[in-house]
Amino acid sequence: MTVTIKRAPKARFNWGKIATYVIVILVSLTMLAPFVWMLSASLKLNRDVFAFPIEWIPSEPRWRNYVDIWSKIPLGLFVYNTAKLTVIVTVLQLLTSSFAAYAFAKLRFPYRNALFLAYIATIAMPWQVYMVPQFLMMREFGLNNTHLALICLQAFTAFGVFLMRQFYMSIPDELCEAARIDGMSEYGIWRRIMLPLSMPALSTLTIFTFVNTWNDFLGPLIYLTRTELKTIQIGIRMFISQYSAEYGLIMAASVVALIPVLIVFLALQRFFVEGIASTGLKG
Amino acid sequence: MTAARAVAPKTTAPKSIVPKTAVTKRQRKRREMLVAYSFIAPNFIGFAVFTLGPILFAFALAFMHWDGSNPIEFAGLENFWKLFEDRAFKSAFWNTIVYTIFVVPLTLVCSLGLAILLNQKIFGRNFFRTIAFFPYVASLVAVAVVWNMLFNPDFGPVNMALYNMGIDPSDLPGWAADRDWAMVTIIMFSIWKSMGYFMVIYLAGLQGISAELYEAADIDGANSWQKFWRITLPQLGPTTFFVSVMLTIQSFKVFDQIFLITQGGPGTSTLVLVYHIYNEAFISWDLGYSSMVALVLFVLVLTITIVQFRLTEERD
Amino acid sequence: MAAISLRKLRKTFGELTVVHDIDLEIADKEFIILVGPSGCGKSTTLRMIAGLEDVSSGDLIIGDLIVNDVAAKDRDIAMVFQNYALYPHMTVYKNMAFGLELRRAPRDEVDRKVREAAEILDITYLLNRKPKALSGGQRQRVALGRAMVRSPEVFLLDEPLSNLDAKLRATMRAEITKLHRSLNATFIYVTHDQVEAMTMADRIVVMQDGHIQQVAKPQDLYDNPVNLFVASFIGAPQMNFYPVTIRETDAGFAVDFGGTLLPLPPRLTPENLAPYEGQEVTLGLRPEAFFERMTSEHDPDMFAQLDGVVDYAEPMGPEIHLNFAVQGHSTTARLSPRFAARPGDTVTLHVDMSMAHLFDPKSERSLMAGPAA
Ligand SMILES: Nc1ncnc2c1ncn2[C@@H]1O[C@H](COP(=O)(O)OP(=O)(O)OP(=O)(O)O)[C@@H](O)[C@H]1O
Ligand SMILES: [Mg+2]
Repeated sequence: MTVTIKRAPKARFNWGKIATYVIVILVSLTMLAPFVWMLSASLKLNRDVFAFPIEWIPSEPRWRNYVDIWSKIPLGLFVYNTAKLTVIVTVLQLLTSSFAAYAFAKLRFPYRNALFLAYIATIAMPWQVYMVPQFLMMREFGLNNTHLALICLQAFTAFGVFLMRQFYMSIPDELCEAARIDGMSEYGIWRRIMLPLSMPALSTLTIFTFVNTWNDFLGPLIYLTRTELKTIQIGIRMFISQYSAEYGLIMAASVVALIPVLIVFLALQRFFVEGIASTGLKG
Repeated sequence: MTAARAVAPKTTAPKSIVPKTAVTKRQRKRREMLVAYSFIAPNFIGFAVFTLGPILFAFALAFMHWDGSNPIEFAGLENFWKLFEDRAFKSAFWNTIVYTIFVVPLTLVCSLGLAILLNQKIFGRNFFRTIAFFPYVASLVAVAVVWNMLFNPDFGPVNMALYNMGIDPSDLPGWAADRDWAMVTIIMFSIWKSMGYFMVIYLAGLQGISAELYEAADIDGANSWQKFWRITLPQLGPTTFFVSVMLTIQSFKVFDQIFLITQGGPGTSTLVLVYHIYNEAFISWDLGYSSMVALVLFVLVLTITIVQFRLTEERD
Repeated sequence: MAAISLRKLRKTFGELTVVHDIDLEIADKEFIILVGPSGCGKSTTLRMIAGLEDVSSGDLIIGDLIVNDVAAKDRDIAMVFQNYALYPHMTVYKNMAFGLELRRAPRDEVDRKVREAAEILDITYLLNRKPKALSGGQRQRVALGRAMVRSPEVFLLDEPLSNLDAKLRATMRAEITKLHRSLNATFIYVTHDQVEAMTMADRIVVMQDGHIQQVAKPQDLYDNPVNLFVASFIGAPQMNFYPVTIRETDAGFAVDFGGTLLPLPPRLTPENLAPYEGQEVTLGLRPEAFFERMTSEHDPDMFAQLDGVVDYAEPMGPEIHLNFAVQGHSTTARLSPRFAARPGDTVTLHVDMSMAHLFDPKSERSLMAGPAA
């Protein structure tokens, strides 16, 4: 009698996978719905915005909304102001944080731990705790109603130094030592070894700083009262208070405010999970 | 001048050589220190002036009376005693606690669940991750406006949908305009907004778990459920700790969405501590009292963080 | 000229002293190897010489200069790290050229030197790769190449072969020795692999707990360890130790090992032994001092017999390591693979006492070395 060799049956149909897809798609729709609704409303007449059932894709998209918003309030100026602030803050933040973080991670000097502790201690401190004295101090310096105030406020954060230091700690000390023996100065090591190796951390910090500065509204609300200095977030609020029933326009302005963040985020997000993983931001 | 130190040559060393030092210890130490401080200075000076200084000033102000223009007066503990008579402070305090109690565990569970789903090999994984993260980076002002429209009690699409599902118009929730629903609205909004961020942190944590652990469990015949409870969750311990600390701190600091959606109302139903600080400072210009509330908030956050640290230390 | 002297060199980390006032004279172009158990301060010593750690006290002299406070880059040294420390974002070529470029060497000279070094190390075909795309052995060569191109006076190597497999290690040992001959530089090399130490070094420095125990040529170190630590650290399998008592007999001095009298070699002079007459000392016998039988080459006066109970035997190919107990003292002997013994058997082995070492059990020093200085 011959022995028949049977093939073991393949794992049966995977219901778990199907369930995963269903849940993921449902959650994604929940996450996305407000944005889609915003986009669709931005292309509608005011009276159609709340029509029910929701017409997700407007039959007659009203592109005019995107033209009108620029003339109703100085939105162009607001975008310019925000872009200027965001770029300056982000560049300063990246430079000074990674610079300071290098010393905290790789150099030995007196009071290193005490100074770093001062940074750590303020991370848990709500901004609102010291927002008032800070405001009064800025006023004392004559900085209220200037962009400089907001730059000073946001460019030197404990968070940036902490994040970069955690990343640098994960780079082996031997690399710096080899560079020192090779004849590099500490500045050279920072510039030519550390910076090129810290793309994930720098991207992470860029996303955080860019997003926070671009989206900040309480800072500009407190510090900037003159219209020509205001940022886009304040601009949207202006829109709401002046044209409270112009839903289409408000939505169009909101879409405009979202786009730059979306671009920066999409450009840098491939580094993001890696960045979070390597900067100890996961605990 | 370089201090040349002559060294008595030992018999084994070549006799003709009189070694000299090139640099003294003090010179070198000094130079190293200057280099290190030059790295720190640009950030630290800004940080000290614009953050550290105001924080110390805030602590001092808690024991003063000041309206921002007249001279500062010493107040001793007066601001502290005022806390107990201030009914708004009491509601703010409880509202903050309620908010935290709901937001921390709910966000934790949602973001962990989502991270586990999006850590599997599914089609379009990166796309879904990006979508889940997007509310976090989106402008709060813009999404708050949309949220207000979507949840408008009279003609917002959410209530329209509920109405069309057969709910009686008188039973429809009033969302942000309703005393009983305002806090619920804020909590839902907060979870929706920040869930993606903590999901990314959990993803990073999940990627740190060695695949060998799962392979070993597969060989032992564990099912997915057992693998989750026996491997994933324990391995994510430090991440969960970090996320819960961050969430707690964030919840105690909640302000922006309340400012944009309910302004603390209706009544005091969504008044939280930071909102109270803001009101006392920029509306009443009672800076001493505002700082006292801030000090209370700070002590609360610090205490909770320390307690959480202790708890995990005991567990480990 | 790159003779190096360490004079009362000390390193402390806070309260903890990890290198205790060590003295060492290293001649120009010498190949010195530091060995010792983990944590004994080898790396720390090497890093002080490199200028990566400050010297807490004492002097470090390279050539005719005290360099305690000279920056690493001004010491004319090169270092090879255990984990290679190649710059991950630069190609192999760039990694090797980097040090020269920083020193503003002309471009064609840099190119010539890099290619020359690559040729010697046989890594020319790797020059355009990044370190990530290299195997461990290839990385090792690049790390060596990076040190070579600068033609420094002093090469420092910290366990450079410890991440390689056994076969590659043997090849690289030979290559490093060759390199030392052709480069005309002083080599200071840290390892805890005895084979590396024995095969490559001009002199070996044995360290323990931050102290230098002995400095000697490899064979000297093996033949004349100055104390129990060196005796047990050098040599694998380890030297066997037994408590014995010194007796003066008609035939001169001998040791009494549980009733058996064992002769002593003439190396151990009456002056060495007389003070210990009647006292207990430690007898050390290397595994190769044991034989199955005596041959005509052996001096019968120096031989004795010991009985033991076999514990287990480890076949090694060309030999076996027989583990057995002599009067309750566990012993390892290197014997021919044809020696057949099963656990529990009683065996009688011949011991060549001309290879015997004696140590003072209190000071742990060899009786030949005389009292502690
Ligand atoms: N930066 C430091 N701070 C405190 N102690 C240190 C430091 N570096 C080294 N040590 C201690 O100094 C001792 C000697 O360390 P070293 O690295 O020199 O040992 P080693 O002989 O190279 O050991 P191994 O063979 O394991 O590499 C160890 O006990 C170590 O813990
Ligand atoms: Mg070492």
